[in-house]
Amino acid sequence: MSASSFAEGKATIASEYSSEVRREPIEHQFNPYSDNGGTILGIAGKDFAVLAGDTRHTTGYSINSRYEPKVFDAGDGFLISANGFSADGNALVKRFQNQLKWYHFNHGKKMGIRSGARFIQHLLYGKRFFPYYVHTIIAGLDEEGKGAVFSFDPIGSYEREQCRAGGSAASLIMPFLDNQVNFKNQLDPESNGTKKKELRYLSLEEVLKLVKDSFSSATERHILVGDGLEIMIVTKEGVRTEYYPLKKD
Amino acid sequence: MFLTRSEYDRGVSTFSPEGRLFQVEYSSEAIKLGSTAIGIATSEGVVLGVEKKVTSSLLESSSIEKIVEIDTHIGCAMSGLTPDARSMIDHARVSSLNHNLYYDEKIGVESLTQSVCDLALRFGEGASGEKRLMSRPFGVALLIAGIDEENGPQLYHAEPSGTFYRYDAKAIGSGSEGAQSELQNEYHSSLTLKEAELLILKVLKQVMEEKLDSNNAQLASVTKEHGFRIYKDEETAKIIEQLAENEADEPES
Amino acid sequence: MNHDPFAWGRPLNETYGEYNYNIANASSVTSHRNPKMATQQPIVTGSSVLAIKFKDGVIMAADNLASYGSLARFDNVERLLQVGKDTIVGCSGDISDFQKIERLLDDLEIEDGYDIENYELKANHIHEYLSRVFYNRRSKMDPLWNSCLVGGFDADSGEPFLKYVDLLGVTYGADSLATGFGSHLAIPLLRKKLDSDDAVKNLTEEEGIKLISECMKVLYYRDARSLDKYSLAIIKKDDVKLIKGLRCEDMSWRFASGIRGYGN
Repeated sequence: MSASSFAEGKATIASEYSSEVRREPIEHQFNPYSDNGGTILGIAGKDFAVLAGDTRHTTGYSINSRYEPKVFDAGDGFLISANGFSADGNALVKRFQNQLKWYHFNHGKKMGIRSGARFIQHLLYGKRFFPYYVHTIIAGLDEEGKGAVFSFDPIGSYEREQCRAGGSAASLIMPFLDNQVNFKNQLDPESNGTKKKELRYLSLEEVLKLVKDSFSSATERHILVGDGLEIMIVTKEGVRTEYYPLKKD
Repeated sequence: MFLTRSEYDRGVSTFSPEGRLFQVEYSSEAIKLGSTAIGIATSEGVVLGVEKKVTSSLLESSSIEKIVEIDTHIGCAMSGLTPDARSMIDHARVSSLNHNLYYDEKIGVESLTQSVCDLALRFGEGASGEKRLMSRPFGVALLIAGIDEENGPQLYHAEPSGTFYRYDAKAIGSGSEGAQSELQNEYHSSLTLKEAELLILKVLKQVMEEKLDSNNAQLASVTKEHGFRIYKDEETAKIIEQLAENEADEPES
Repeated sequence: MNHDPFAWGRPLNETYGEYNYNIANASSVTSHRNPKMATQQPIVTGSSVLAIKFKDGVIMAADNLASYGSLARFDNVERLLQVGKDTIVGCSGDISDFQKIERLLDDLEIEDGYDIENYELKANHIHEYLSRVFYNRRSKMDPLWNSCLVGGFDADSGEPFLKYVDLLGVTYGADSLATGFGSHLAIPLLRKKLDSDDAVKNLTEEEGIKLISECMKVLYYRDARSLDKYSLAIIKKDDVKLIKGLRCEDMSWRFASGIRGYGN
């Protein structure tokens, strides 16, 4: 029976309910999503890339865990993090790692970062009508050995970028990054305000400084960010992890 | 009832007591009836050459298609029941396109060959519930030529049994026996693309019944610069000319 | 009366008009014209589960009450479940869904025993399995309405293992965990004691039990859907003690005005 026939309301003879209009069951739907907070940040350098995330896990105002990692080394020099609804995030990362194994079996070679990015688009878009509620960032080295960061929206639109912040405090960190990584709104001091500051690659030391500053500032201003900062760094030598405590309040 | 030996070739996927699948073996025989096709892999690229059997002077030879493009970097030559190759080539094109769609890169030549060979065994039901797609094994073999980032120029021979091997040089079809031993003699690893073109035509000339010309032979190559490319008739004619000159220079021993 | 086997016992439409599904909210039960309905809410529920790591393993507790809304319906329900040699799963939320989980884990244990002799299911395996079950069910929009804690030992490192998983498939691990009201009332008390890795390494069994039973008391004071009767599990290597029928003791139910900390 179509919904419209419910709305018409069929009269019932000799009943005090006769004037009532038939309704669908009371809308009390199960919500399959939640927000587990946290924030992530990826920056690409000349011959390295970093992907960092805080380690706080929340639901609502509750801190579930002060150390729940969300940045992963997926293999083949891939760093991946899917921030937002953590169950979806973990499912996406696990699916990717699984498919990466299949790629090795089927093609007998390392997966390139571009291929990884395109593949993640398909994982995300495959659930276009029941999306993974996550902001995904991957980092690694491209075929020339240059640092690469790709960022995705929940349904798979993606783009290669020099840097990207995702998650709860993305809007706090991203403008800072625009200014400090891409030198947005910075002028060349010599030019007397006529020339934009020229772009250059940042060193790993400079990048790590920016990452730490981004997260300690986001911790100050955002309640869902804090506890710990885990930074993964990928270079041609491989992947390494660094941990720095953040404020726990 | 006990089945006599000859009855084991009735069911396509029934083993004989000696462990043979007769229908699959017979399908290899079908290829030996086909026209000759030759492939040579060099460090500069892969060359494919086929003989086109022009059975009538009224037949438009350009309508005989024995070398086809699979993707910009892969092509193949066929021998045997060429209509059977249509579904294989369809499958190969889809595989290549899908790989590019999913991974934003060109599919590897071996992966592509593997995916075509996966199809070859679909005359029976798959172990994980795959439907039976065909009533019999393929009656065609392919020479798959391609180039990729990892392994450079490659040549694969895909059989109806689903097995495939990589070759430096391979001949299939009716003239394959003679052609293969000639390739064995002439092949060396420093062969140039030009030399490979000439060698293919030279070998084809030897095994063909008719006189070799640009009407009854076709060449194609896969190179890093141009990808897969079928040679125009005039181009083939020029190489045939060149071949004739070479042979005139060095009288046969 | 309608004698059509598919509508047997219903008043005839010709005589009484079309059946009104609004009467007594009959629609969700009777009408096969409505979409299939999955669990929309928990019915009989269990309240908090508490758990902490200590130097030799994990301690967990859950009371024995199953409520039907605000009615204290069953007062002898066991919500801590042993799986394998040294793993405990503690469940809050819908009790019937918990019983389904009991069956699943039972099957898992049997299957595991069949397939690989001498192989042992460890807490991390159980947790991974449960998280997949929960996530798959939520993805079918037919969730198992529970929050679970899994306590035991990690198969690889042999270290104490404690992780959470819920109806959405959300998972996380920590030194002290709690579900339901416990996450608001007990967690601050537990974290005060277990504020570092060293604190966990130094916490003895006796101290741990004391800490947990103190929290069970706080919960009985402040959580209306809790009971003073509870079970306690002490999980050590290859040794699980599941103590049933414990009571919250030394409680004071005098008027608030007479209790220290309430304005005097």
